[in-house]
Amino acid sequence: MTTLIRLEILRTLRNRRYLLFTIAYPALMYFFFINAYGSTSLAGGLPVKTYFMVSMATFGAVGAVLTGSAQRISLERKSGWVRQLRLTALPGRAYTVGKIAATAVTTLPAILVVFAVGASQGVSLSGPQWLGLAAALWLGSFVFAALGVALGYAAAPDAVQPIVMITYMAMALLGGTWFPVSGSLERFARFNPVYLYNELATFTQPGHSLDTVAVAGLAAFLVVFTAAAAALYRRDTRQA
Amino acid sequence: MVTEVAAFRGVGKSYGRVRAVDGLDLVLRPGETVALLGPNGAGKSTSLDLLLGLREPDRGSVTLFGGAPRAAIEAGRVGAMLQSGGLMSDVKVRELVRLACDVHPRGRSVTGVLTDAGITELAERRVDKLSGGQEQRVRFALAIAGDNDLIVLDEPTTGMDVGVRQSFWASMRAQADAGRTVLFATHYLEEADSIADRVLVLHRGRLIADGTSAEIKARAGARRIAFELHDADGGFEESVLRTLPGVSSLDVTARVPGTRTVRIRTADADATVAGIYRAGLYPRGLEVTGVGLEQAFLTITGELDREDGGGTGTDSADVAGAEKESVR
Repeated sequence: MTTLIRLEILRTLRNRRYLLFTIAYPALMYFFFINAYGSTSLAGGLPVKTYFMVSMATFGAVGAVLTGSAQRISLERKSGWVRQLRLTALPGRAYTVGKIAATAVTTLPAILVVFAVGASQGVSLSGPQWLGLAAALWLGSFVFAALGVALGYAAAPDAVQPIVMITYMAMALLGGTWFPVSGSLERFARFNPVYLYNELATFTQPGHSLDTVAVAGLAAFLVVFTAAAAALYRRDTRQA
Repeated sequence: MVTEVAAFRGVGKSYGRVRAVDGLDLVLRPGETVALLGPNGAGKSTSLDLLLGLREPDRGSVTLFGGAPRAAIEAGRVGAMLQSGGLMSDVKVRELVRLACDVHPRGRSVTGVLTDAGITELAERRVDKLSGGQEQRVRFALAIAGDNDLIVLDEPTTGMDVGVRQSFWASMRAQADAGRTVLFATHYLEEADSIADRVLVLHRGRLIADGTSAEIKARAGARRIAFELHDADGGFEESVLRTLPGVSSLDVTARVPGTRTVRIRTADADATVAGIYRAGLYPRGLEVTGVGLEQAFLTITGELDREDGGGTGTDSADVAGAEKESVR
């Protein structure tokens, strides 16, 4: 199984489109946002540079796992690679585990590159805060990996691309990725996993600890997405 | 020593109202090279899916080496190349073959597999940059990545040009010579005729013939007799032709006035020809030829279509079309 996981990681890193959209694109967006807002103002109670550093890191991480799992699983179901793997001694879950492991490894660069750019632009956090933030965002990305697997087993390749894009953009738009949400929008945002994901960063603010409500919400989404992924996987297996 | 590699017992599988496999009984024995023939939609791919445990039968049982198909796969006894078996993208051929060798419980060396599949020179190429025929050879490599006892190939030479197909057959034969049981589905009858020592013919989900290629040809009526009868040589009754010994089918056409062309298929050409002269006929341009497996196949499936009263041999026409493709 380790050979499969290694190969999954290798091929993802080899894919130029992946590197462009999940690493370069969020970093560029980051520059765009901090310049558009100006460096003195606050966003969601945070300095603009810190706020958008987090939201662009989550933007890149969610993009990496959704495209890395949903689109590939859907394509490989269609091409028959999934069937071919079922003719090997690998257990049935190996394929999905490999996909999640590969995307989990590849979300790290998406997060770290934006962090590096943020640091170079004057975002200042303590060492434990940097580490804690990276760990929180990395662990949070597993929720979206589970969603990606579910979407990959739910739809055919031509349908999955728009589904992923719409889901991704809607969640980002209403989840505070491009602008802080407030008022009634914020009440709905409580049911949006991307919003909860962005909330993980609030512990870096003075006087805040880790947002346990957001953690609990994300854990609930993880359970729901994993259950959906498992059910859709079983349906796909029955259809061969 | 297990005397049974694979067994289908009363197997049925339907998709909605379509019966893809209908009461299939079949045993594969060790060391056989078996061709599975049938027109498109005959149930070949479904049968192979059932054999490999990719689908569950609605009725009956399918066993591999006396147990569940999945157990045989996990024990590394079966290698398979599916028609619909995709490949991983963004990886090199060597990396993909290494993966297959690694996950196989009785995995072989990567170099050996590349050599046997004839793709050593493709090893550093990206999988997504290969032609259709090259992809087929990589799929074959995945099927022989371990020391399998059974190799299952679904239409392995589709997309290969003639030269490549010849060398692919050599690779297939080498697997059989190593003592492995080989089962391959094909609609290239030439392939079945020249490689298989047992031929199965599947039609509408049922096994309608099972024997050597020679036996199947014999069953279809071994020989064809063609000649012309000229009115100038004297009149005759068509019923005379019908009662000739050994005749299994008769076709008389009269395109040119005064001349009739007679085509007979017979199980005993010697007796039929003797009968023609005994009846006082004067056949001109008499020809006696053996039928190929293709003709035998069309005859057998055609007979069934007529018995069923259904389809007017459209399925058989598909196969004829496929055969033309293979010649091209």
